Amino acid sequence: MLLAAICALGSFAEMSPARAADDDAAARAERWKALQTAILGDRKVHDGSGVIELDAPPRALDAALVPIGLQLTGNEPIKAVYLVIDNNPSPLAAHITFGPKADPRSIKLRVRVNEYTFVHAIAETQDGKLYATQKFVKAAGGCSAPAGSDDQQALQDIGRMKLRLLGDIAAGKPIQAQLMIRHPNFNGMQMNQITRYYTPARFIKSVEVTYEGGEVFHLESDISLSTDPVIIFGFVPQAKGKLKVAVRDSEDATFDHSFDVPEPAT
Amino acid sequence: MSARWVPACARTYALALLAAAAWAGAAVPADTAVAPDEPVDYWTGPINGPVPATLTGGTVIHTTELRALLKKNGVILVDVSNMPRRPENLAPGAPWLPIPHPVIPGSLWIPGPGMGAIAPDVEAMFRDRLASATGNDINRPIVIYCHERCWLSWNAAKRAIRLGYRRVHWYPDGMEGWRAARLKTSIADNE
Repeated sequence: MLLAAICALGSFAEMSPARAADDDAAARAERWKALQTAILGDRKVHDGSGVIELDAPPRALDAALVPIGLQLTGNEPIKAVYLVIDNNPSPLAAHITFGPKADPRSIKLRVRVNEYTFVHAIAETQDGKLYATQKFVKAAGGCSAPAGSDDQQALQDIGRMKLRLLGDIAAGKPIQAQLMIRHPNFNGMQMNQITRYYTPARFIKSVEVTYEGGEVFHLESDISLSTDPVIIFGFVPQAKGKLKVAVRDSEDATFDHSFDVPEPAT
Repeated sequence: MSARWVPACARTYALALLAAAAWAGAAVPADTAVAPDEPVDYWTGPINGPVPATLTGGTVIHTTELRALLKKNGVILVDVSNMPRRPENLAPGAPWLPIPHPVIPGSLWIPGPGMGAIAPDVEAMFRDRLASATGNDINRPIVIYCHERCWLSWNAAKRAIRLGYRRVHWYPDGMEGWRAARLKTSIADNE
């Protein structure tokens, strides 16, 4: 009774703590359910334990640059992964399909997070089964953070790329590579401090990476990808060859780059 | 790579290092950052980052004080966080599903007046919205907030002070602070 009286005296903005937390959890679960339907239709989504792991910081240093790592730990061959940032306005941050030249066990990229949210990673096996895992990320405001101090400068360098092999190259052995792409990935929600108006959206729609003509991965993305994307992926070099990257953005501009992969040690 | 890359890309490298550090599990908790001094004018740097502990001409309040304040009548609550905008060139099939915008119950959601430099029409809109919410009473208590580590509310609160309001409160804990205290939220009216 006393408790009820105290609660009744509380301000209009309050309610019992347990109830508010339950509402929050229920709302988040409902959101994920709605997103599953929007992105995956009515396909069954299994628990991803033992198949896919998601690395994400519990609290991000910079909401516009949240590092995400996906580890595919299962035995079943993986066809694709989806990365979903539940509470972003455009929740499907990336859809990555792996080709025959890929080592799909690990892929890393950086995303924008607009507010505290669950992040879901979903693995799709070659035979079409879906496995999901989740992490909660505390970060807010990533979508309106300016891409840099100077929009013009960012556009001047657009499409430049760098590739770095992470480790020693050996024939037939998977190796990780870090791909850096200069692109402001303007999401249309960032205000230019000089013109005082929103910078028009211009963002990467796809990244296609091939090695000696065989596909490594194909990434479909939009505004949730960070400015100047950095993607760390695995591939399997057989011999000296060319790793080609083709990027297409929302203006239908294409940026192509070819990198020489040195002769592997045998 | 070409040497030309280096100066333009120094930031990218720095960010990559940062990301690499975070990947290694070295994410720094936001609240360990040192609060910067107040800028002389509006803040035009990155919106998200450490914010000052003070606001000249206004009162900085945290959740306990805000709850106490809200027990009184006539407090104007203003959320100045941004509204997501759908890019026109988003792929037709791409899901665009902004979540309903949660606010502290009773809040007005006024996106726009928190940027460092704002267009005259946004300035006029903010002035008019505050005038109508307060009934032109410059002594009405106003609480301005957005998110934690977010300069939008600091700027907007400074703007309200410069517009002549005498009881401007800045709630830097924002929606995250409110929710961390497990307090009720509601969906903004202007949706």
